[in-house]
Amino acid sequence: MSVSNAQTSLVDRAPQFVHSKPVRDGRTRNNKVRYALTVLAFLLPSAVPLLLFVLGPMVAAAWVSLNQWNLLAPMKWVGLGNYAKLLGDPITGDVFLHTVYYIVGYLPLVYIGGLALALALNTALKGRSFLRGIYFLPVVTSWIVVALVWRWLLSPSNGIVNSALAFFGIHGPGWWTDPHWAMPSIIIASAWKDLGFIMVILLAGLQAIPSDMYDAAKVDGAGWWRRLFSVTLPLLSPSSFFVLVISLINGFQVFDQVYAMTGGGPNGASEVVVQQIYDLTFRYGRAGEASALSWMLFVVVLAVTVIQIRGQKRWVTYA
Amino acid sequence: MPDATLAMSRGFSTKAPRSREANLRLAGVIVLHAVIILGAVAMFFPFLWTIITSLTPGASLTNTPALIPANPSLGAYQQLFVERPFAQVILNSFVLAAITTVVQLVTSSTAAYAFSRLPFRGQTAVFGVYLATMMIPLQVLIVPLFVELKTFGLLDTYLGALLPTFASAFGIFLLRQAINQVPRELDEAATLDGAGHFRIFTGIILPNIRPAIATLVVFAFMGSWNSFLWPLVVLRSPELQTLPIALAGLQGQYTSQWDVIMAGSVISVLPMLALYIFAQKYVIQGVASSGIK
Amino acid sequence: MNRKLMVAIGLAGVAALAMTGCASGTPSSGGPVTITYSNFISNGGNEKNLATIVAAFEKKNPDIKVDVKTLPYDSYGTALQTDLAAGTPADVFDINGPSSYGPYQANGVLAELKGVDSGVYNTALLDSYATDGKQYALPTSFSDVVLYYNKDLFDAAGVKYPTSDWTWADETAAAAKLTDKAAGVWGDHQPVTYNEYYKVLVQNGASFLTKDGKKAAFNTPAGIEAAKWLVDKSGTTMPTIADGQGTADFDTNLFKDGKLAMLHTGIWVFSAFADAPANWDIAVEPGNKTSANAVFSNGIGVSATSKHPAQAQKWAEFMSASDTMVNVRLDSGWELPAISDAKKLATYLDKGKPTNRQAVFDAAKKIAAAPSIGDNQSAMQDAITGELIEAQAGRESVQQALDNAEKKINALLAG
Repeated sequence: MSVSNAQTSLVDRAPQFVHSKPVRDGRTRNNKVRYALTVLAFLLPSAVPLLLFVLGPMVAAAWVSLNQWNLLAPMKWVGLGNYAKLLGDPITGDVFLHTVYYIVGYLPLVYIGGLALALALNTALKGRSFLRGIYFLPVVTSWIVVALVWRWLLSPSNGIVNSALAFFGIHGPGWWTDPHWAMPSIIIASAWKDLGFIMVILLAGLQAIPSDMYDAAKVDGAGWWRRLFSVTLPLLSPSSFFVLVISLINGFQVFDQVYAMTGGGPNGASEVVVQQIYDLTFRYGRAGEASALSWMLFVVVLAVTVIQIRGQKRWVTYA
Repeated sequence: MPDATLAMSRGFSTKAPRSREANLRLAGVIVLHAVIILGAVAMFFPFLWTIITSLTPGASLTNTPALIPANPSLGAYQQLFVERPFAQVILNSFVLAAITTVVQLVTSSTAAYAFSRLPFRGQTAVFGVYLATMMIPLQVLIVPLFVELKTFGLLDTYLGALLPTFASAFGIFLLRQAINQVPRELDEAATLDGAGHFRIFTGIILPNIRPAIATLVVFAFMGSWNSFLWPLVVLRSPELQTLPIALAGLQGQYTSQWDVIMAGSVISVLPMLALYIFAQKYVIQGVASSGIK
Repeated sequence: MNRKLMVAIGLAGVAALAMTGCASGTPSSGGPVTITYSNFISNGGNEKNLATIVAAFEKKNPDIKVDVKTLPYDSYGTALQTDLAAGTPADVFDINGPSSYGPYQANGVLAELKGVDSGVYNTALLDSYATDGKQYALPTSFSDVVLYYNKDLFDAAGVKYPTSDWTWADETAAAAKLTDKAAGVWGDHQPVTYNEYYKVLVQNGASFLTKDGKKAAFNTPAGIEAAKWLVDKSGTTMPTIADGQGTADFDTNLFKDGKLAMLHTGIWVFSAFADAPANWDIAVEPGNKTSANAVFSNGIGVSATSKHPAQAQKWAEFMSASDTMVNVRLDSGWELPAISDAKKLATYLDKGKPTNRQAVFDAAKKIAAAPSIGDNQSAMQDAITGELIEAQAGRESVQQALDNAEKKINALLAG
């Protein structure tokens, strides 16, 4: 199989979101019922818990979003009042802006870094199993500890980073103490922590690539870069697609690192959507607004995800 | 990529006359190793710092950490296991994480199979709903979920802590992507042999997505092992307490013992690290032995 | 294999539903009554001390059992709010100070405590858990903020030790003399936060809110002077944010290392300083126009929905006023009981460093009352701290910061 053959055979596989008619002709009614039961049997174990314990509470939250509620006194119906109030509050725009800023900085950094790491640690390096373990360490370390370390590394006056910059004659910024640098500080620490997470997923994807693909490419005389772009990346695209969708969904819900590193400060400069949701619910006694804000976030994340799913046809190839 | 390294390692082993190309390759290998190892040091450093702090009695935070503690002591660990019930707490977390992992493997792999191999009307929409379950932050679901579990009478029970973790859209999506990469020729061959969906699922699909399954094992376990908010509100009895909550309990209202907190962090990280290394080994062996690759 | 597992999951679901029937609500017939007590105060090292108090209570009241649930301090509010929202609060629960008490009382979450022997308690602290003359919670302990000073640094600089007669001017003059940036020694440290600001306002004869509590009252010349008192230390006699000021344990470490001459902080760091090499002592904080001190207390309340309010109140009183509690707390150094009887507290005065422990009680005699505005309390505190830090970092003038804070807080007060 040559590379070009592999490519064409990949192209004529229908992407999974485009389906031909579900039930083909010639099936008896009995067969249809059996098929439906099979589908149900495969779906129910996951559908029941998701319905009961996620979708149910989501609907409840939607209802809460139409009420004024401080969690203590009975709810008071306000209709769409919470949404109107949020839309009129400049903080809402701020927290969405900060969240998007986070994603725009974080995603390219962590994806390219994670991909490079996965490629490097998929080679026959000595002790790669150990090295993978090391790179996975930050993923399993709690944000409390990671934030302490990074606040110290990025300490404006005596941190390692600014000391190193000073060595090259650069006056380092105030990092997390400076409103303009608070979010970049969070982005750097987050990318550092999540690098191993992306690596693990992409490594699993790399290991699933049949080695005869590479053999074929080599017979064709393809060099390293050509093999990367014509074999590795196309065959890794389902994993990359997964990483991007998940990272965006998680990125919009960034919270732990902000809470641990800056608490949203200085003076709200790094306050993100979910932090505002948490504060509104548990600290400010405005659970109705928190639910409304969650649903606004939901709409944004859903839209972004739908765009990604629609767009996957252009670049995601399945075996 | 794997073959690229083969070529690279050949640059080391064979004593062929050094061409310019071989020199370049050698330089590449050296740079690669240097970068990877430097990166690993950067990754390892905070953990090292955690260990050192855990061995320093009365450790404080803002001082530049010493590489060798002044009076190293295992006192912090002793406090955790002798004066505090951390053995019990770790066991609790382990049991919950193990159950969550096993159940998620079942619910994720079956759903992933349905989304990859069982076309039905509205499949895309249903999958979209599944993904949507990840899009509302937990913080706002906690109260409704708590009220729901109260009506089920499951507050302060392990079942109450576990039920919401039984299905994960993350795991389903992860495995669906993996199953999509398994060549359909394999299913078709099995169908010709008269295999039904359950047999294809267990006999063909599952063995072929071992790397993804190992990944899910690690993440499902980690998700439960580190989960904080839900166990915090649903589990109240001291004997049911899990590790992250016990760790948070080490920070006082006004002051904190950082050596004990860091010791707690070390013992919470080590099992996850071991699980990951084990899972990696298993994947590589599995890939090598299944031969289908 | 899969079918079996699926069957198992199905069974688990059925079991869950079955448990619904039997798990909830088991009213005790005869036997001792069990009350639940949800707390954070014992968290982080005093769990055993609490157990001792519980054992003494149960011995004295064989018909009552106390089921203790301890939560991390940081997350206690989240868990309690969830409980209150779902109607499942413990019979007795901790209250994180009068500022948390306000919203709970206003929303009818707390049962009125009748027949409490008010003479046992420190009056000011007891009153901070009462509304319209009715008692809704009891103070279990208190701490206050005092001025720590390093005697060695004072001696070396030839500066006289602080006394209770000091004013801000005395402190400023001493701090300037004590600061030696070349040697890394700082003269003073006081956090730039809401908790300091409402107090220094009172010290300067101003107040945070208007008398009727409907508007911010700090944006006045006296209020600006108070804000400058905090903000202007930064970079002159106190390390800046860039130096690490404001991060966890920064100030206490600096003091422990002998690099800080004066420190405004709570009495909760006594034990942390016990083995500090330097000679140190404490004094009541200097005032400006008057002396006023920040006192923090923890409270204990009975849920309005408790099925055993009488027994619950008995425990709340025992936990806040019994001799057992007083002795356990004093012996272990677990904060100070909020009781009135000075004789019972006398042993505290000879518990070792610092020498001038009398200052702890003196400070508690002149309390700067913390403003309490109900549901928006946390939002108000966040707003003022955020703006003060802007001024401290030099990104805003003090006047701008207070203008902004006033605007935000008036908006919160207007609802």
